[in-house]
Amino acid sequence: MKFRTERDGLLEALVTAGRAAGGRGAAATTSPSIQLSLRGNQLEVTGSDPDLVVEVRTSVSGDADGVTLVPPRLIVEIVRSFEPGTVSIVGDDDEVRISSGRAEFAVRVPVGAEITRLTSPDSDGITLPSAPFADGLRQVVRAALTDDSRAPQLTGVLMVATDTGLRLVATDSYRLAFRDLEGLTALPAGNQVLVPARALGEIQRLLGPSPDDSDTLVFRHSDLDAVFDVGAVRLTTRLLRGPFPDYQRLLPPGYPHALHVARDELASALRRVRLMGRDAKDAATPVRITFGTDGAELAVLTPESGRASERVDGRFDGDELTVAFNPGYLLDGVEAVRADTLVLEVIDSTKPATLRGDGEDDYRYLLMPVRVS
Amino acid sequence: MHLLHLDMDSFFASVEVLDEPALAGRPLVVGGSVERGVVASASYEARRYGIRSAMPTAEARRRCPDLVVVRPRHARYGEVSRQLLELLERVTPLVEPVALDEAYLDVRGARWCGDGVASLAAQLRTEVREELGLACSVGGGTTKLVAKLASKAAKPRPSAPGVAPAGVPRQGPGSGVVVVAPEDELAFLHAHRARALPGVGPRTADKLRRYGVDSVGDLALVELGSLVRLLGRAHGTLLHDLAHGDDPRRVEPSRVAVSIGHEETFAADERSRDRLASLAREMAERVASRCRGAGVAPRRVTVKVRFGDFTTRTRSRTLPAVLATGQALGAVAADLLDELPPGPGVRLLGVHASLLVPRDEAAAGPEQLSLFAPPGDPETGADGTQRREGVEAAADAIRDRFGAAAIASLAATARRAGAG
Repeated sequence: MKFRTERDGLLEALVTAGRAAGGRGAAATTSPSIQLSLRGNQLEVTGSDPDLVVEVRTSVSGDADGVTLVPPRLIVEIVRSFEPGTVSIVGDDDEVRISSGRAEFAVRVPVGAEITRLTSPDSDGITLPSAPFADGLRQVVRAALTDDSRAPQLTGVLMVATDTGLRLVATDSYRLAFRDLEGLTALPAGNQVLVPARALGEIQRLLGPSPDDSDTLVFRHSDLDAVFDVGAVRLTTRLLRGPFPDYQRLLPPGYPHALHVARDELASALRRVRLMGRDAKDAATPVRITFGTDGAELAVLTPESGRASERVDGRFDGDELTVAFNPGYLLDGVEAVRADTLVLEVIDSTKPATLRGDGEDDYRYLLMPVRVS
Repeated sequence: MHLLHLDMDSFFASVEVLDEPALAGRPLVVGGSVERGVVASASYEARRYGIRSAMPTAEARRRCPDLVVVRPRHARYGEVSRQLLELLERVTPLVEPVALDEAYLDVRGARWCGDGVASLAAQLRTEVREELGLACSVGGGTTKLVAKLASKAAKPRPSAPGVAPAGVPRQGPGSGVVVVAPEDELAFLHAHRARALPGVGPRTADKLRRYGVDSVGDLALVELGSLVRLLGRAHGTLLHDLAHGDDPRRVEPSRVAVSIGHEETFAADERSRDRLASLAREMAERVASRCRGAGVAPRRVTVKVRFGDFTTRTRSRTLPAVLATGQALGAVAADLLDELPPGPGVRLLGVHASLLVPRDEAAAGPEQLSLFAPPGDPETGADGTQRREGVEAAADAIRDRFGAAAIASLAATARRAGAG
């Protein structure tokens, strides 16, 4: 295999694919690697671990077709260290020579490396509108469980077909977020798939903060795997097995107390008061929110460091009460809301609270309080 | 024969490779900066270049220009060390950690002792490799001294040592396990250089050498009186005793238990998943009761299963809050059991609780409530937990007074009735 290309394009492809070959998350038994595969002027860069495969296609000027494996971290560091300009890569079964300017590296092909192959679903792809889907991911992925030792099915986002569109749901058992994407038919009615949040996080990253509809996103799935095509990148992920909890029974029928408040004001106040809990032994020192007629009072108390408090103006309907939350979880919900005014609804200090945008009925963020003595 | 000494191989360096497999096979040290630091731990690939612990990092780099130098992550090593201790405490509660990567075990009363200490040591080494992904060396003997020298003899060898210890039996050097039979202990000991004994540093070694003493064997031939004249009473007596294999040091378990657990080996391999689940729940009740007795509550549950073919599997789960009741602990244990791959009949089942938090601390701290166990739920909610805790504590008190069989859960009673 032999080709030349520009550093920046190559680096971007390696970094993107390398995210699926992360050293730490991957199984310790096989050494992680990135595969480079050249045919004509088309280079395919593939990173994989047992659950996720990311393939990036990019154009290079090719001299000899071929396939080789490279260690992900090292090759990214090498290419990143080069000055902008041309990079040449020549690979065989034993080593890959990477050169740019006067620098040359001969990198040994990782021993025992292999690339995961997931089945490629042959069903027809469905084009999803990038902007609303990315926004839905932004709002929902944050509620998924990140540590899979507890309940693997909670590390996924449930994509479920509703009568009128697609619903995304995630929960880590302390909070739950769902978003309805009206008119979006990614799945046949009544169908659902459980997609690892990690894979969807990568999709989010690939789509960027504000995708427009020219960023095409094509989705297809089988019983085992799902494939997302984002521009020149193909991401294949294993699907998770359920059962996903019966989340619908968790939604309280109604709320006796509701606070209407400016989203950004609440977010800034939360970011400030929680500084006080940062150094505490347990990172999640709760924020106590006392709801009153004209708004809410936020307070964080730690025996070691001291206390912080801040008033936030708002409209509160209900009786005065205090509820404590994990400030990080609460902030996640506040930041997920799109509307400028948000509604925080509570029942009491031990029952789930809900965050939603004022007039934003397609999104809910449920959060369990922290019990304080 | 009853003591084991377990020593992790290149502990810090191996943990780094574990976390970053791309480093495998490369000469690696964990240590301070190349300008001023020293090597804290060197991989075996690095040792081939003559790199040793405590060598300045700059010198190490000079010997091996390709050397990978990684800054130490002590919090991570502490975490792995804790996992190691938990694993060891499943074998015997008599574990004395002497460093993050080193511990003595008194295995006289240990489970599966019937299989012989050598196979116990080998089993332990396998478990450490399978569960932590790390290699260790295990030495066995009747004293701490012999056990420690044996673990050293078991270490992988990057280069030949000065003295090839005679009398190293059964498993050869570098095999990872050396257990010295009682009748071979003196020969084993005497073949070592005197320098190998604790209390013999370069200066003492020098004095001894001038006296014509090079090996422990030479030392054993010296009269006590001469040694005392040479080294002083305390020092001389100590070395005299050690040279004769006399090491009275006991294994002193750390006072605070890292884990509390219960294991049972079945008379006949158990094949029914349902029965295993209910056994796990019963064991969880006993473990929770012992935790209550010790004034602690666990945040981690480990289930261990040994199948009929002697393969061993464990599954652990760490929870965000403590498990106060045997019921809650049992639910997690049964869940973990479910996650284990099916295997041939189960020979041994164990339930272990770790990350033990003092109870008063756990009760005073804030508790993140869960969506799936609302406090209104009488069984698993927060109020339910307190009620259940009261019930279980009352049962503890009844057992204390009237014996273990005085009270049991309905499920356990039903199982026994079914079995009988």
